[in-house]
Amino acid sequence: MSSLYCIEAVLILDQKGNRVYANYFAPPHVQDGEESLAGSLKRQREFELEFARRTAKSEGDLQMFSGSLVRFKRFTDVVVVVVGHASANEVLVDVVFEGIAGALELLLDSGGVDMRVVQDKFDLVCLLVDEAVDNGIVLETDPATIAARVTRPPTTDPQVSLDLDKGLLGAWGFAKSKLQERLQQGR
Amino acid sequence: MSAQTYKKFESAGSSDLPDKMTIYQDCMNTFNESPVSAKRCRLLISRLLRLLSSGETFPQTEATALFFSISKLFQHQNDSLRQVVYLAIKELSGISEDVLMATSSIMKDVQNGSDIVKPNAIRALTYVLDESTAFSAERLLKNAVVSKNQSVSSAALCTAYNLLPISEVTIKRFSNEAQEAIMEVKTAPMSARSEFVSKAPHITQYHALGLVYELKRNDKMALMKLIQQCSDGFVLKNQFARMELMKIVNDLIHRDTQLFAQFQQLFNVWLQDRSSLVSLETAKTITTFAIAHPRLVSPDLFATTVNVLRKLMNEFNCGAKLGAVKVVNKMAMVSPEKVAVCNPELESLLSMSNKELATFAITTLLKTSNEDNISNLIGRITEFVHKVSDDFKITVIEAIRTLSLKFPKEWKVIIKFLIDVLKNSEGAAKFKSSVVEAIIDIVAFVPQSKELALESLCDFIEDCEYNEVLVRVLHLLGKEGPSTSNPSLYVRHIFNRVVLENSIIRSAAVIALSKFALTKNDPTLKDSIVSLLNRISNDTDDEVRDRATISLKLLGSEHSFAKDLVQSKYYYDLNSLESKLTTYISTNEDSFKTPFDVSQIRKFSEDEMKAIELKHKQDRVFKSTDNDESGNRDAIAPATVSTNKRKDNDTYKGADLHEHEQDLLESKYADELSGMEEFKEFGKLINSSKVTPLTESEAEFVVRAVKHVFKDNIVLQFNITNTLVDVALDNVSVVCSAEDPENSRLEELFTLPIERLAPAGESACYVAFKKSTDTVMKGFLNTLHFTTRELNPDTHEPFEDDEGFQDEYEIDSLFLNAGDYIKSSFVGNFEATFDQLPNEEVAVYNIQEDLSLQEVIDKLVLNTSCLPLSNTQFAPTDSSSHVLKLFGKSALMGTKVALVIKMIKSSKGVALKAQCRTEDATLCADIVNNLM
Repeated sequence: MSSLYCIEAVLILDQKGNRVYANYFAPPHVQDGEESLAGSLKRQREFELEFARRTAKSEGDLQMFSGSLVRFKRFTDVVVVVVGHASANEVLVDVVFEGIAGALELLLDSGGVDMRVVQDKFDLVCLLVDEAVDNGIVLETDPATIAARVTRPPTTDPQVSLDLDKGLLGAWGFAKSKLQERLQQGR
Repeated sequence: MSAQTYKKFESAGSSDLPDKMTIYQDCMNTFNESPVSAKRCRLLISRLLRLLSSGETFPQTEATALFFSISKLFQHQNDSLRQVVYLAIKELSGISEDVLMATSSIMKDVQNGSDIVKPNAIRALTYVLDESTAFSAERLLKNAVVSKNQSVSSAALCTAYNLLPISEVTIKRFSNEAQEAIMEVKTAPMSARSEFVSKAPHITQYHALGLVYELKRNDKMALMKLIQQCSDGFVLKNQFARMELMKIVNDLIHRDTQLFAQFQQLFNVWLQDRSSLVSLETAKTITTFAIAHPRLVSPDLFATTVNVLRKLMNEFNCGAKLGAVKVVNKMAMVSPEKVAVCNPELESLLSMSNKELATFAITTLLKTSNEDNISNLIGRITEFVHKVSDDFKITVIEAIRTLSLKFPKEWKVIIKFLIDVLKNSEGAAKFKSSVVEAIIDIVAFVPQSKELALESLCDFIEDCEYNEVLVRVLHLLGKEGPSTSNPSLYVRHIFNRVVLENSIIRSAAVIALSKFALTKNDPTLKDSIVSLLNRISNDTDDEVRDRATISLKLLGSEHSFAKDLVQSKYYYDLNSLESKLTTYISTNEDSFKTPFDVSQIRKFSEDEMKAIELKHKQDRVFKSTDNDESGNRDAIAPATVSTNKRKDNDTYKGADLHEHEQDLLESKYADELSGMEEFKEFGKLINSSKVTPLTESEAEFVVRAVKHVFKDNIVLQFNITNTLVDVALDNVSVVCSAEDPENSRLEELFTLPIERLAPAGESACYVAFKKSTDTVMKGFLNTLHFTTRELNPDTHEPFEDDEGFQDEYEIDSLFLNAGDYIKSSFVGNFEATFDQLPNEEVAVYNIQEDLSLQEVIDKLVLNTSCLPLSNTQFAPTDSSSHVLKLFGKSALMGTKVALVIKMIKSSKGVALKAQCRTEDATLCADIVNNLM
């Protein structure tokens, strides 16, 4: 009855309820019944569209929706949603949401969260949610700690250093070793 | 991939995704390049993740190929690439094969990876391990659990938690390390970016506690010890950990209620916890326990809890508010007077912009309100209800509907409110029909409200656009209108519908009109109706014409049953009608030459029907208190929630399965008995009692009895279950001897024994009596007689040479009391009816046993089989006295029976004064003298 699995999904939707980001959780290694949303894409889409329809007028709230506890907040043109289990502590869902929303603001620091930023920095969003919730277990709720665990994309590629001082022979040797490597890989 | 979708991506902006195959090709090419470009790979994986997140998926072969090429990226030592590689592995593990091959690379990272990727690597183990390989990670996980780094330790604990279902044995080996992790204080390593400073450390404690609980959940002593250690001082620094501990406490006290007292201290401290997360969880734990076991919670603790809830409702955080108001709402269902102190806080929530909160507050307020403030409250609700969406409106209307049963005297205010909402509030058909249903309810159970309600409904149908609502109202007008003081008023309104509306409504109106022709107090009406119907019989629509013609025919007919067809006096038991029809169709012995015999179906008069409905509603109010337990999915919540998976327990949608079963049971008895030759001459079954158990449910032979009353006979049915494994019982019979044989007015006719009762079999034995007077009260001493035959375990047949062994088995005695001759019934105005009844008897009881008022009430209701009215079936929790009002009808004569029972609870027990009034003198004394 008491379980660590208490978050059902983290979603970022556009105004019409279309997905920008979606992650539904289910306990791994458990044969799941039909109950959970995680198993059915169709049900997930229904859930998202229905949610967008019902909350169209609201800026942000904590409420019951479709048998789950839902905390959401509207940013420029997207809405960030944390779906908690119906029996979860209301404050817990609230705290998890604040953690994720706070970390989003810290990481996507280009003047607010909107659709374009979420899409462009999708890797950051995925990492961030992964650091906040693991398979529905609350992993971390402090925005700063979450943000600190997310790596930025590499800015430059380390170049293959071809030291020309060693002369042509060196270059030939390098080329040969590369060629052998490829041949060994079978191509 | 069609050309169309391909083009879509070409034309759109840069943040749109290329199609699936392009991404797949790009990934395959780039990941296999050498040297690997970390930047480009991370970008591609980011695209891949977007694709998967949008709901796209890959066929298994392609997913496996992707997984394989991604695992090659392990060669590249770049943290920011590695982190997304783990994400991709996690996403692909569900759809690709051979995920095990990544295990060794991941394990290498777990050992030697940097601080950043180590936790990711540990958590990725969840996806690549299975039953057979989980043990190989034991040492790694154990080392990680004891790590000083909070993220590493948490990751290991979560992975262990996730792996529990497949490798509990492995995980158990480091339960000691997990337990140490609860006590140990860990921190996140200071990262390079020092502007981020953690404000909520020690979350590892939460994960460790969750894991340890799972490992020891069946060891009560170990859990007690754990709680002992953790509740000391400031061991648990993390608020989630304290919440988790409270959940463990909750689990324990529900397993062993006596433990509650031991945690008293902990409750008191944690109710005042600085984190609202913890105080809310504590309040939840106490209240759910208090609802289940009210006696075990001290009034002091309860008062503190209520105070904490009030404080939480005042907090800024909407989570705390919602949590608290939900708890209060749940309490209000069971004991509204205890949470009435929260009213000011609840009222302030009404103005919140969060409509969920406001709706919860309203439904709670409606429960805690009393007759004095109800009209004031309804005024406030009126303002509120015009501003919210339909779902919330329906929830509020449902709450008001229950209220009308609770305060029948306040019907005027309630009806006015409903009418106002109906006329002035925008809403879809579902909302309008919920309002109309609520009004219909009030008309049915509060007869005084009839005229006002009907008149307002007449106005409403002048401009109503929903067919189904209109039809419902027309039916009500036809049913109730003829018995009002001025029926002709309604005729005009109904006829207007015939002139103006579509054919569906016209047909409903015709039926309603024809009922007015039978009005008793205005005979002139019949001629007008006939002339109206004559006009309608030229209607353009077939159905309308047909209905008008048949109505005219019936009205003109001399037969008395023609009138019954126009305005029926009784209702069929729909459940048994349905089951009978199904059997009729499925058996079909002579291709339907024998017509269906409708006389077998039970019929209810109007009052009986209402009694049944009211009973269902009362049960519902009571049941709704415990189905919110542990917050299962169909919790009582405002109906924002109405998608497929939710069952609306809040709203009345007809009898549920359990009730159907009970209803069916009675017609089943009637079937069984009427099907037996022996009982043919007894005539029709008049009444059957509820099932009374005569043995413990664990006994070797379980016996349950049902009493059947016929006109001149009594039949006792004993359902006997043989729980023995390899012994059959032969010739099973029950010997009933009257308690005082001298003046018995019953004469035993015969016993129908059970020939053979196989192991685990259940069968019925009947004993029939003839009674000399109408109502006979009697106690029976019962003994079970049977011959045991040992069974051959191979053939399940008795051994040839086994003669059997005669035996007896004593079972409890059975009482035939006044309640067995009574059927519960409904009456609108109890007081007036009570005063009119001619015979009166009074009896006084003094019950020494330690029973609560509620237990006494339940017993009285059961023994008299009457229907409790005016909401008196619930004992007040704040007072030691109560007045119970019961109403029923004699099953034999159909005469009325009304009881007023006053009760007072004192230290010596419960004192009862029962006042019984009946139409028929014989029953009166019998009832009052047989109450307990």
